Amino acid sequence: MRKTRSRSFPVLLMTLAFFAGLIYFIVNLYVHSSSWSSMPQNGHLSDGTGLEHAGTITDRNGVVLAHSVDGQRLYNDDEQIRRACLHVVGDDSVNIGTAIQTVYRSEISGYNFVFGLGAPKDFQNGAGMTLTIDSAVQKAAYQALGSNRGAVVVYNYKTGEIICLVSTPTYDPQYKPEDIETNDAYEGAYLNRALSSTYPPGSTFKLITAAAALESIDDVENRKYMCTGSENIGGKEISCVEASGEIDFAQALMYSCNCYFAHLSLELGKDKMTTKAELEGFNKNLIIDGIETATSKYDVTCANENELAWSGVGQYNVMETPINMAVRSAAVANGGTPVMPRIVRHIDGIADPMLNIGSAKTGQAMMSPSVAQKLSDMMERTVNEYYGKYYVSDRLTVCAKTGTAEVGNGKPAHAWVTGFSRDEDCPLAFSVIVENGSSGYQAAIPVASAAINAAADALRSAS
Amino acid sequence: MEETVQVLSFFLRLVEPFIAIIITVMCFISLRGSRRREEPLIVLEDEQEEIGYPVLYWENSIGRSRNSDICIQDMTVSRDHAVLLRRNDGWFITDTGSKSGVYVNGEKVEERQQVAIGDRIRIGTTCLVLRRASEAGANVSRRNIRKSIPSPLILAIITLYVSVFAMQTLFNTGAMEAAICAGAFIAEIWVFFAVSAIAFKRPNIELEALAMLLTGTGIMVSTAHNPRQAFVQLAASAVGVGLYFFILWFIEIPDRVSKWYIIISVLSLVLLASTLVIGTSINGAKNWIVLGPVSIQPSEFAKIAYIFVGASTLDVLQTKKSFTMFIAVSALTIGILVLMSDFGSAVIFFVTFLIISFMRSGDIKTVILAVTAALLGVVIMLTVKPYIAQRFEAWGHVWEYADSSGYQQVNSLIYSASGGMFGVGTGLGWLQYLFASENDLVFCLICEEDGCILALLTAAIIGGFMLYARGVATRARSTFYSISACSAAGLLVFQAALNIFGVTDILPLTGVTLPFVSYGGSSLAACWGLLAFIKAADERTYSRHRPKKTVSSEKPRRSTAQDEGFVEI
Repeated sequence: MRKTRSRSFPVLLMTLAFFAGLIYFIVNLYVHSSSWSSMPQNGHLSDGTGLEHAGTITDRNGVVLAHSVDGQRLYNDDEQIRRACLHVVGDDSVNIGTAIQTVYRSEISGYNFVFGLGAPKDFQNGAGMTLTIDSAVQKAAYQALGSNRGAVVVYNYKTGEIICLVSTPTYDPQYKPEDIETNDAYEGAYLNRALSSTYPPGSTFKLITAAAALESIDDVENRKYMCTGSENIGGKEISCVEASGEIDFAQALMYSCNCYFAHLSLELGKDKMTTKAELEGFNKNLIIDGIETATSKYDVTCANENELAWSGVGQYNVMETPINMAVRSAAVANGGTPVMPRIVRHIDGIADPMLNIGSAKTGQAMMSPSVAQKLSDMMERTVNEYYGKYYVSDRLTVCAKTGTAEVGNGKPAHAWVTGFSRDEDCPLAFSVIVENGSSGYQAAIPVASAAINAAADALRSAS
Repeated sequence: MEETVQVLSFFLRLVEPFIAIIITVMCFISLRGSRRREEPLIVLEDEQEEIGYPVLYWENSIGRSRNSDICIQDMTVSRDHAVLLRRNDGWFITDTGSKSGVYVNGEKVEERQQVAIGDRIRIGTTCLVLRRASEAGANVSRRNIRKSIPSPLILAIITLYVSVFAMQTLFNTGAMEAAICAGAFIAEIWVFFAVSAIAFKRPNIELEALAMLLTGTGIMVSTAHNPRQAFVQLAASAVGVGLYFFILWFIEIPDRVSKWYIIISVLSLVLLASTLVIGTSINGAKNWIVLGPVSIQPSEFAKIAYIFVGASTLDVLQTKKSFTMFIAVSALTIGILVLMSDFGSAVIFFVTFLIISFMRSGDIKTVILAVTAALLGVVIMLTVKPYIAQRFEAWGHVWEYADSSGYQQVNSLIYSASGGMFGVGTGLGWLQYLFASENDLVFCLICEEDGCILALLTAAIIGGFMLYARGVATRARSTFYSISACSAAGLLVFQAALNIFGVTDILPLTGVTLPFVSYGGSSLAACWGLLAFIKAADERTYSRHRPKKTVSSEKPRRSTAQDEGFVEI
């Protein structure tokens, strides 16, 4: 009998493994419960319910963006603010994947591990949240975008706080349009273009090529080039918008000479270009307070000479999100190392160590401080001497670079501008895209101007 | 009004797992506390050496091997020489193929032979005398075995549990079927108790109470979503209880069972094979036989037959060391299951085979050989039918396959997390709308609707069955019961592991049922059948047949020996 019992030892081991598995499951459940339960598939949250007693979401100044009253979700009283903040805050559904009300659905609707989503509605106390955005700046940026499709990102490159994050087309979450699925005007309205869309970055990418060249090509700053408007580089034509004549490095950046940077990117080669692009956020995931953004792409493994040349000026197959572009500018502004953007300032009663909410996070160095200094100076000169200082901003010292990205199919080019302000009291990095806006100078700068001026007013009045 | 109902249902949900915990703890404490102590009642005395060998078990191996229950240091004794065993009519000794033979009072033992107090048993050159432990001066104290908790009390708490469950469901969904099912189930457990305690005079009911707790949870979870399923479960549990009583009766005399060994194997194999021919394919596996309105899964019942065939009494184990027949039955069974594409069951049978063959022989070589053969089989399978591997593509990274092969697991995790510790309320979950929610996903369904405490408790009870089976392994009336109880419990635990860990992405999803809880009539009935094996390992189960200590006037010598059994409560 004794032998029989001792031979049951493997079964005992199996049973112990079974108990260990149960413990593993419960630990896993405890650690991931909040993120699992806020998945968009969750029927408890996505059937349009779950927010009746959810917590209040406010902006940086305490302006209520969304709150629940008597079992109803109400958004800000100002329709313009509601529309401007839609993609940040979200609506009753979970259609906007990057919105706070989607990603933090379980927190604001009162999820906790003990009661899950099962406590009676009267017992549920959804956590309130404070965001870093400023509703007034949101509104200004939204109005400046007007009927255009596009996106605006403005963030404080010292603290990482996102002050403005607007995407159009948008709609009113309080009165969701019934024809949203069918009306072309709302096409892609569920997408926060600043985070989830990638576009060819066009000439704004020259900042990366320039940084790489400054770091690895000797005396590149004094290199002269005679721009005739186009040149056969790598077997095919590379063309500029206009012939700039004889130009040096700084002028090439200022006048955005494609030929000049095409030559530089060929000289740098695929490896250095790829390394630099990846250092500046390409081919990497960028997650902002748990919100996943699209990945910017730079891939020249299959490119021929001409295509590599085009990649150096942000064409070929290069794709970038507006948020990544803003981070690049923040790096230039901040001596080469960016402070990463964040949007959640505070969640009531929830201290999730995984999320590390509410504190500044420094990213990886993108360039050396001296290169950042040189690029800053060149970008400031570009604003002052080429775009016009007051055209960009009458109250900030701005460094910027525009881009006009060809999209093909006979459609007008996408208009870009990215940059930052040098003012100590208003450390703002920004990027703006206006889809099919034709010209970065004409379409994107006015939007950026409205957004950063409003942000400057907001920051200065607060301090 | 609606809010009041919500709050009421919420408080019932808070109470529910605590009642279940109380029942579980009570039952396991009672089971453990009321076990017999391992103390000898008879002793084999070596008069020359003046050594007394205490006889501790119902079946005792005697031999030179250090692992023998009675180890005799004598070179003329074979390693596994003989077995001294106790049956209802007294003590017996069997020679298990020894070289020098066994002699009782000078006569050579040919078959199993009864022995009595004072008999001289010669093994090799050692001569042993059978004595009462009290005479031999062993310390015998018939003392404080804790009383088991009264069965009616346990059943009353289960009644409360089921009522709370039903009330909660009623508040949530307003489905009157909940009350009907609960009423019917409560009636069933009390009738069960009456039959067990009065008709069969079985003193304790803890094991069955735990199984009732699991069965009741399964039924109550079903009522909220699909009352028809709940009624099927109810009917199946009645069939299962019947099967349980039948098997307990059938295996009462372990020596009798071995005579049925071949008939049962053949029946089981024929039933399985006939499924291949006349069976119906439901959800990808051709393992159903449809008889009018009833469809049954023969593979579930084959599990019971398989345990029968695998277990043996100690004297048989020691005499016939090879078990070719059992290996042949195993290979055929698993082969047929693979042909049916019922891979989940095939794996369960394979693991059960490993458990049984190791418990029989202690031979690690057989196990290694079997595992190697199985791995080879899997490799060949995957080469011939590579699409089978696709079933496992999502394993370990289900979130990447959230809309395809990881759909069930992803939803199970999401909704398990949504339930918290007390659940969102029976009938108010979302997982119920998924395919196979009441069988494959039932663990997570309970997590979502009734909280992870209750879900984990159901799993822990199944694990507890195994710990219990092992705890009584040496106290059982025969190795037949020890082996069958451990392998039946092991089978249940392994099946539970496949079910729970499959759906929570710890193991690949195989689509087997959670024992006792999942919806599935054949499965539930078969689980009750398997429970009978665990119950049979408890020596008190058959105590009604043991006459009370009344001295029989005729044949005093024999009856004295008969009384030297173990303490019974």
